[in-house]
Amino acid sequence: MNAWLVAAAVLMVAGLGPVLWCVATGPLRRRVAAQNTGTLLVCLVLLLLARGYARPPYTDVALVVALLGPVGTLVYARLLGPEMGDDPQQGPLTKAFAVIASAAVVLPLCVAEGPGRSLVKLLLIGAILVGGNLISSKALAGARPKEADDHG
Amino acid sequence: MADVLIAVALLLVAATATAAVAVRDPARQALVLSVLGLTLTLLFTVLQAPDVALSQLAVGSALTPLLILLSVRKARRRSLDQVRAEKEAEEGGT
Amino acid sequence: MNRRLRMWVLLLGLAGTAALLVAAAFRLPAFGTGFHPYGDRAVHEALARQTANTVAAVNFDQRAFDTLGEETILFAAVLGTVVLLRQARDERHVEPAPADVAAPVRRYALVLLPVTLVAGLYIVAHGQLTPGGGFQGGVVAATALHLLYIAVDYRALERIRPLGLFEVGDAAGEAAYLVIGVAGLLAGSSYLANTILPHGTFNTLSSGGTVPLLNAAIGMEVACAVVVLLARFLDQAVEIEGEGANEGENEGEGERT
Repeated sequence: MNAWLVAAAVLMVAGLGPVLWCVATGPLRRRVAAQNTGTLLVCLVLLLLARGYARPPYTDVALVVALLGPVGTLVYARLLGPEMGDDPQQGPLTKAFAVIASAAVVLPLCVAEGPGRSLVKLLLIGAILVGGNLISSKALAGARPKEADDHG
Repeated sequence: MADVLIAVALLLVAATATAAVAVRDPARQALVLSVLGLTLTLLFTVLQAPDVALSQLAVGSALTPLLILLSVRKARRRSLDQVRAEKEAEEGGT
Repeated sequence: MNRRLRMWVLLLGLAGTAALLVAAAFRLPAFGTGFHPYGDRAVHEALARQTANTVAAVNFDQRAFDTLGEETILFAAVLGTVVLLRQARDERHVEPAPADVAAPVRRYALVLLPVTLVAGLYIVAHGQLTPGGGFQGGVVAATALHLLYIAVDYRALERIRPLGLFEVGDAAGEAAYLVIGVAGLLAGSSYLANTILPHGTFNTLSSGGTVPLLNAAIGMEVACAVVVLLARFLDQAVEIEGEGANEGENEGEGERT
């Protein structure tokens, strides 16, 4: 078990544990935000596992999480928007956590990778991940009760 | 030592599955269900089955929540309509 | 059968299943050892046919007939959904209202749509090399299209989704799998045998004989099936209303449906 796998295990316990707690309790908006953070953490864990097992094809799984994770959150923001209208908004801490955690995982991976096509792929996954996470946080903050009666 | 990762992933799956049953509202259940999908993805990857992990991810991350939430929306609107229709029928009758 | 008797029957069934499972678990080889009789043979066969991803070789070569069954299950399930969720006589069609989505979210979705679509096609095309294949890639590609509903509105999705074409694509994907199977039969070996095409060079896009072709057929079938399935759900949730709705406007609705 190398350092990458230890980091993955730590991230799973320390990251997904709280995510599970927040997604099962509390106001609806916080639950959706927790699910959003969950997709980010899982993508980072998958990147660490791919490196730890020395299997570059496993990064494809992380790529799919980075692409579809925010889509899932957008689904919740769109269809549960009316229900979470009055819930308290998430502070800037969630967004800051997303950026810092992604940088803290992706940058060491890039350094270990060295220049090449895999480096480009890693940076692409990192960019999609952070961008998607910030956008879905924005969609979540913008979900308002006034859409309650539309059919669209 | 690699078994530690498997044990952690299994515990996460067990905890999330229990939470999915314990939460009662369908819309909130869908949220826990998508986290369950994520933990299952991790479990499959840790067990060296990335093909299965990818299948779980493709279906569980956006498709299943969309299907569940659309069904919930339809069911809720239908019951709302029924309540409204009954109320109007009562008012018309008296 | 009263409730008590039913519980006893259930208990009997559960106890039997549990006993069989426990008995089977004791006969399994120990977890994490190097003894893999099935795995070794599967890997050997996969390498003999130049297929880098053994799982793809098992799904689309060694056990391709099983995959035909799975594909048919999805096909039949979607067909059943289409029949069940059609617009009934006492339901009417309403125009979907435009949705109010924040501009950055909309822009991001429009950028992400082609990226996700390409990622889906990439996963289908590399099924014989890396994790993934027709099913996974097809679902990703179909999800990409629905970004238009999620982040723009339903009318935008309807504009780029000629449903008839997707229904034909669903059937064509299913048919292509059957035809490739028959091609093996015509070439003088058995149904779905991987002998009609050269196996190519190991770890290149064109390797694996019929595996990439079957992957493409499955990818097309799954992507179209998911689009058709979601279209039915979306129609029901967005466009179709029961008779009880908006009592006052309902006079003469027979002509409108």
